[in-house]
Amino acid sequence: MQKSFNQQEVVRRRTPFVVTILVVISAGLMLRLASFQFSLPLEVQSYLESLRDAGYTRTLELAADRGVIYDRNGEPLAVNTLDYMIGISPNLVSEPQRTAQLLASALGLNELEIYEKVRSDDPWVQIAPRISAAVRQQVTALDLPGVTLTPIPRRSYPQGPLAAQIIGFVGGDLVGYYGVEGYYQDQLAGQVREREISRIPFDLPETTQIGHGSDVVLTIDRDVQYLAENELLRSVQESGATGGTIIVMNPRNGEILALANYPNFDPNAYFNITDENVLRNPAVNTIYEPGSVMKVITVAAALDRQAIAPDFSYVDSGVLNVAGISVYNWDRQAYGAVDVTRVLVDSLNIGAATVALEMGRQPFYEEFNEFGFGRITGVDLEGEESGLMPVPGDPNWSEANYVTSSFGQGISVTPLQMLTAVCAIANDGLMMQPHVVRQFVSNGEIIPATPAALGRPISAETAQQVTQMMVSVVESGLDNPARLPGYTIAGKTGTAEIPDPSGGFYQSGVSITTFVGFLPADDPQVAILIKLDRPREYWASQVVAPVFSRFVERLVILMEIPTDDVRQQLSALGGSVNNINR
Amino acid sequence: MAQSWFKHALQRSALQPRRQTASLAVLGMFVAIFIGALYLSQASSTSLLGRQLGDLIDERDRIQQENEALRAEIAGYRTVERLLRRAQEMGFAPATNDTLRYLVVEGYNPDRDAVVIPVDAALEESLPEYDESFLGWLQQQWDALVGQVERFNSSESN
Repeated sequence: MQKSFNQQEVVRRRTPFVVTILVVISAGLMLRLASFQFSLPLEVQSYLESLRDAGYTRTLELAADRGVIYDRNGEPLAVNTLDYMIGISPNLVSEPQRTAQLLASALGLNELEIYEKVRSDDPWVQIAPRISAAVRQQVTALDLPGVTLTPIPRRSYPQGPLAAQIIGFVGGDLVGYYGVEGYYQDQLAGQVREREISRIPFDLPETTQIGHGSDVVLTIDRDVQYLAENELLRSVQESGATGGTIIVMNPRNGEILALANYPNFDPNAYFNITDENVLRNPAVNTIYEPGSVMKVITVAAALDRQAIAPDFSYVDSGVLNVAGISVYNWDRQAYGAVDVTRVLVDSLNIGAATVALEMGRQPFYEEFNEFGFGRITGVDLEGEESGLMPVPGDPNWSEANYVTSSFGQGISVTPLQMLTAVCAIANDGLMMQPHVVRQFVSNGEIIPATPAALGRPISAETAQQVTQMMVSVVESGLDNPARLPGYTIAGKTGTAEIPDPSGGFYQSGVSITTFVGFLPADDPQVAILIKLDRPREYWASQVVAPVFSRFVERLVILMEIPTDDVRQQLSALGGSVNNINR
Repeated sequence: MAQSWFKHALQRSALQPRRQTASLAVLGMFVAIFIGALYLSQASSTSLLGRQLGDLIDERDRIQQENEALRAEIAGYRTVERLLRRAQEMGFAPATNDTLRYLVVEGYNPDRDAVVIPVDAALEESLPEYDESFLGWLQQQWDALVGQVERFNSSESN
């Protein structure tokens, strides 16, 4: 009894100490906890927060809808669709055999392989990486337990290969490549947002708006584009050419209405393309020597500089020995006394060289520079080349370059550069920047793309003089097959030799044939360039001029451009025709 | 008796502070539970609404995606090749310059300035004006009631 009392006494005496120690320890722990809350170094705090968030939240990456691409009349050229990844959670499947059988029949896959996946021990197994929305509907209708369908965004091009090299494509990484998709990637893609999803039931989900990409309306007219592609394909097949380009442009504002290339590709199946060059747009990133088309620029430049008068003439002796080379006409004939119009009508190399020599080297290059040769046009398409125009002082320049450039050899341009320069003649001397985007539509707001002028290389008077000469070329010259009854067309062919890749010389028997023209000559509404590479026939007037006539015959109907007599009647009534914005 | 009452009073008075404390504690607990319940109720309803909102957002996104898919499908049906084929099936043929006729309509100028027709002022004035108010409506009801009573009285007197 005494012992028990002593023990109680000991306990009674020690308890306050124990309690005090416990209180002190607890207070220490509390202080430490408080220090975690209030006075931690920032990096430790953020580390702890990340540990906390990893447990309670997950990050969801929300890709914004990519902007839709339309043609000028609102026809969709590139839209967004969904594919689906199909998977299964085997633990939730009660009838594996039936599930495998039904899925195999819906997906067109091997039943045994699916059965093995359904019997897997894994918590989730992928069955097919990508199925279409139609197949997804079939699978959903089966109402199979454990089957999951995860949407995967996909860019779809409902017009197929139409205008593929203008539009470009969107890769599996949802990034645009080539064409408008590549050039306007930032505007089309919108913003990818990260959203924190909390696992705590009481936390509200974020309702932030995703910045969708802007819709883009192109200057391209789908119907004109279709016509151009069809005509190009037909002419390539008929002429045996290895490739070609057709560009249709409004010279008044630089809008590109159609831009067709051969070969092209289907952007829905870009991954099947093995030659990367096919994905590029040869109209803007392939350079070539344009040949005699350049004579109109030489004549325009000389007239504008007043180096020659419209009635300028010279004596063509059949050969011109200058700068260490001999210049011959295309047929090696002497034409005697000829005027400047005949230089273009008969496409005389000696005439073009004579005009360039009359102008002088410095003004010649200044004028060519004003026409935009040797620099990019700034068209809103990916990968534009600047061309090659060797100028005095360049290591690859020689005096002969100066002479041959006047008739389009020894100078390289892109098809679009050539057409843009000729459009300056069609547009009273004002050279407009070519472009393919007409407007952006962002959150209901329309942002128009304002046409920009690249400069005025020649005066309106000079432009009209050269236009008349180009009309003579089509009416009575070598390029007569380009004529279209009822319409006055201004144009010029070019047959260019192809430099040997090994250097030094030109390849024999092969050419690049081009026709550049615009109509109606007195009030141009469209300017067209047609180029065929390495056709069986050598001369452009035989190969490409008839193609131009055939193409324009369909084009004027499509664009509702009336014949000259109808336009004149309309003018007499005080009206005019301009259906370019139809 | 008086002594026992005094004793009892003393006992009560000794217990009084404890009971008050207990009552206060219970009251505090009730208040805390009430506030907690209110908070829980509010939080759960907010959470529920948040989830519903999330579901609606998902639904909206799904519908938008379906719209996109439909737009793609429609565009597929409207390709030039398909339209051409369909037109040919229906007996249409491509127009040619020989079959095309442009008509010049005398006096018609496609480039004329747009003419804005002024709105007829008289017509504008004749449009009914909406000026109803609650008091006006009450007045209408009262007038109708008075009219009915008057009609009833007059029929009685007849």
